Amino acid sequence: MNAISQLYRRFNTLRGRRVFILPTRFGVLYGIFLLLILLAAINYSNSLGHILCFLLASMGQLAIHYTYRNMAKIELLSVHSEPCFMGQAIPFYCRFDNPNRHDCYHLDIASKQSTERSWNPFKNLTGFRYQTHQALTSLIAQQSTTHRITLPSLRRGQQTIGQIRLSTRFPVGLFDTWTYFTPDCVALVYPRPIGQLPLPSASGDGETHHGEQQKGVDDFSGFQAYRDGDPVHAIAWKAMARDDILRTKQFSSSVSDQLLLSWQATASLLDTEARLSQLCRWVLDSEEQGLEYGLMLPNLTIDIGRGDAHKQRCLTALALYD
Amino acid sequence: MTKPSLMPSNTSLTWLMLGLSLAAVPHFSYQPLWVGLLFLLMITWRGLAIWQHWPLPGSQHRTLSFVQWFIAAGAGLLMLNSYGNLIGRDAGTALLIVMVGLKVVEIRNHRDYYISCFLGYFLIVTNFLYSQSIPTAVLMFIVIILMTSCLISLNDIKQIMSKRDQLKLASKMLLQAIPLMLLLFVLFPRIAGPLWGLPQDAHTAQTGISNSMSLGKISELIQSDAVAFRVKFDQTIPSGHGLYWRGPVLWNTDGTTWRELTLPSRHEQASPVISTTGKQSTYTVTLEPHNEHWLFALDLPTVLPTTLATSIAFGGELLSQNPIKQRIQYQLSSNTGFLMNPTSDPYLNEALALPDGFHPRTRALAEQWRQKSDAPEDIIAMALNHFNQQAFFYTLTPPPLNGDTIDGFLFESGQGFCEHYAASFTVLMRAVGIPTRIVTGYQGGEVNPVDGYMVIRQRDAHAWTEVWLSGRGWVRIDPTAAVSPDRIDLGMSDIMPNAMRAPLFLAQSDQLTDLWQQLRNNWDAVNNAWNRSILAYGPELQKSFLSKLGMTNPDWQKMAITLFAAFSVILLLTSAALLYPRREPDRVVATYQKFCQRFAKLGLIPRYAHEGPLDFANRMTKIYPNYQSDIDHITAQYISLRYDKSQSSLDDFKQTVKRFKPK
Repeated sequence: MNAISQLYRRFNTLRGRRVFILPTRFGVLYGIFLLLILLAAINYSNSLGHILCFLLASMGQLAIHYTYRNMAKIELLSVHSEPCFMGQAIPFYCRFDNPNRHDCYHLDIASKQSTERSWNPFKNLTGFRYQTHQALTSLIAQQSTTHRITLPSLRRGQQTIGQIRLSTRFPVGLFDTWTYFTPDCVALVYPRPIGQLPLPSASGDGETHHGEQQKGVDDFSGFQAYRDGDPVHAIAWKAMARDDILRTKQFSSSVSDQLLLSWQATASLLDTEARLSQLCRWVLDSEEQGLEYGLMLPNLTIDIGRGDAHKQRCLTALALYD
Repeated sequence: MTKPSLMPSNTSLTWLMLGLSLAAVPHFSYQPLWVGLLFLLMITWRGLAIWQHWPLPGSQHRTLSFVQWFIAAGAGLLMLNSYGNLIGRDAGTALLIVMVGLKVVEIRNHRDYYISCFLGYFLIVTNFLYSQSIPTAVLMFIVIILMTSCLISLNDIKQIMSKRDQLKLASKMLLQAIPLMLLLFVLFPRIAGPLWGLPQDAHTAQTGISNSMSLGKISELIQSDAVAFRVKFDQTIPSGHGLYWRGPVLWNTDGTTWRELTLPSRHEQASPVISTTGKQSTYTVTLEPHNEHWLFALDLPTVLPTTLATSIAFGGELLSQNPIKQRIQYQLSSNTGFLMNPTSDPYLNEALALPDGFHPRTRALAEQWRQKSDAPEDIIAMALNHFNQQAFFYTLTPPPLNGDTIDGFLFESGQGFCEHYAASFTVLMRAVGIPTRIVTGYQGGEVNPVDGYMVIRQRDAHAWTEVWLSGRGWVRIDPTAAVSPDRIDLGMSDIMPNAMRAPLFLAQSDQLTDLWQQLRNNWDAVNNAWNRSILAYGPELQKSFLSKLGMTNPDWQKMAITLFAAFSVILLLTSAALLYPRREPDRVVATYQKFCQRFAKLGLIPRYAHEGPLDFANRMTKIYPNYQSDIDHITAQYISLRYDKSQSSLDDFKQTVKRFKPK
């Protein structure tokens, strides 16, 4: 028993990904036509009619192999996504690999839109719940290529790409073959950046800090040992030339344009999502205006800062807030 | 998923139209003119829509939709007018052609395109109902490739494959489909058709001898090169004198037309009493369908076919129980020396009847002869002498006869061929009370040197007579032989002018005519093989073929099981080929690995995965210093083969590795 199950497992790994194949409705129609041809051939005892029917049947059988071959062994190597704001489409970058010795043509990438199941089992089979996002024109033999598909963002937070359905009907359209990939890829969806409230610094609602020295980019205030992530232009190259130790130059800046975007500042908005949206708007606005800003959420606080990395941090915190 | 509402590309449409036209064009010769015209009109409409942006029927052009419906309705009416129904072979084909034409105009999406393609496949089978010749088959194979390439082009939405690649892929699929097709062809249990009553027009337009003869009829056949039947003799072929292929026997005449004897019921027929002399020859006849009951046999058949329900009629002709609607084969034996009904014949009176008031001059001539002698043999000799001595000419293009045709022939024109002589001889004999009947059939036949088959063509059609003499029974008298012995001795093709044996432009020269004849022999042998092995493959041939292959008592269950098993094997092999792709073995690496294995056999650790060839060589040299030169040599060879572009010989490398045996 153990040996059999081992053999089966081995067979499964050899076989690779499970690939499904069924005739399309045109494939069924083709079969009906073949039957009609056979009937005509039998009725008129027509030898060439028989040959035609058998030839077409045999070609239909070959079409199974051809269709299967057009997708067999194609692997989804990796998927990565870029974060986006709620309401925008999430871009996923799928890297497909074609290890075959032949090009594969016209593959459709689809993904599941809704999780609800149909009472009709055939609808579950034929990819009814899947919506095509992109038709790959060709995957060149023994190459891997990246394809961008976009999914609508459903809600703030993390969104997985879900199950991907790769299907093809090439070359003759009589059979539809498909397979599923479940890549482990999570996209980040930031809150929708909307909100009418003015930036806290202008309104006075936010907590502004005065008199405190904040690290910044304006005035040189000393050296600090290099840490990963410090900007390259801040490295003290001259000092390094002396003693081979990496140091970063520290600057301080005035605090007049620093603001802390806090959860409390959005208290006038009742809805959590609306508050997050407002904070998100502020983060973007502050960044755009070149202000230094920090973020204070009930469960975490992000220090004052600015720049792309800082913005990402804040937005990520907003996206993951719950 | 492909959006079915997409309009197929113009290229796809153009090729579809080409394929459909190729499939439809052979029909135009059988169909009424309007069917072909309508089809071409529809194709042209679509073509103009593609190239000149003409409007098509659809939601944007409601009027054009009405025009199309009007055309469809008109076509339906015309069809009912021409055929009276829409079910038969001719009507069905006409309907299909018109339907395809109309469909082409209204292709709007992928679904329409698929249906048109499938209708195209069906058009092919309708072609086979009319002709199963090799050229038709070739043309239709081309159509299959075109249609399949259309399917490919439809699915190749972005048109990344060139048309040439699409055609290549389609041809490849067709070729790869042939093994399974052959398997199905041989093993698929054949059912003897028809499944339902065949329409009346299923087998029309077949030429051949008919069961009546009026002067001037056989001459149409003599113009025809069509094969009537083919014969394969088991032993030697009887000489020209004996090659009379018996067909329908004609007794009754109304003065112009001769007909078979109609008896109230077949059961009352008396079979002839036959005693045979001479050598028996056994042969196989492949008969082309003629939609009649009679089978042709060398005069006179003695051993009847076993594969067919047959009987010998009272006139000595071999009859099949069912009309011959397909090409059939039967084996039988004949004796050229025979006595038929030597003592009495129940239908002698029928062989004496002449219509009153016809042929007065002929009767007078016969009366003259009778006054000279009463013996039938003498009168026959006199008649044959008359044909031989008087101004009678054998010609295939006799002048037309008016009035009493027998009198006109005997006393005025004197020009005619077999049927003229047979008919007038019969009248002469009956006028003096000698029972005589006309036998129609074929005489002669050419042996094709390519495959040894004797071919009997329609132009070998012949009519001769038989007289009944007491004690000798029915004796064959061929009055044509009295006029033109060559017709009988040499056969028809030798007495025919070149112009009738070869196309006009070749007929100028004897050599070219002979060359033409040779080519035709080869072509005919190919056709014969095609007919015998492919077209004749039906339930009977299938059984005998499978028995020859070793299947005992083939029936449909055994065939189905074998088919299923063979199909599974093929499927398994194909799947295996797909699942386990052949890795192209790098022979250099394989040879090098053999070298590494040599050390492993000695109980050493083989080459590590991370170990390059040089490192490995170093390690081994340390262990086996006395093999250093060999190891270095092999390693160097391997490196140069693998990483250099140098032309080091792989065979050399293999040899060195083979010789290297460390201990």
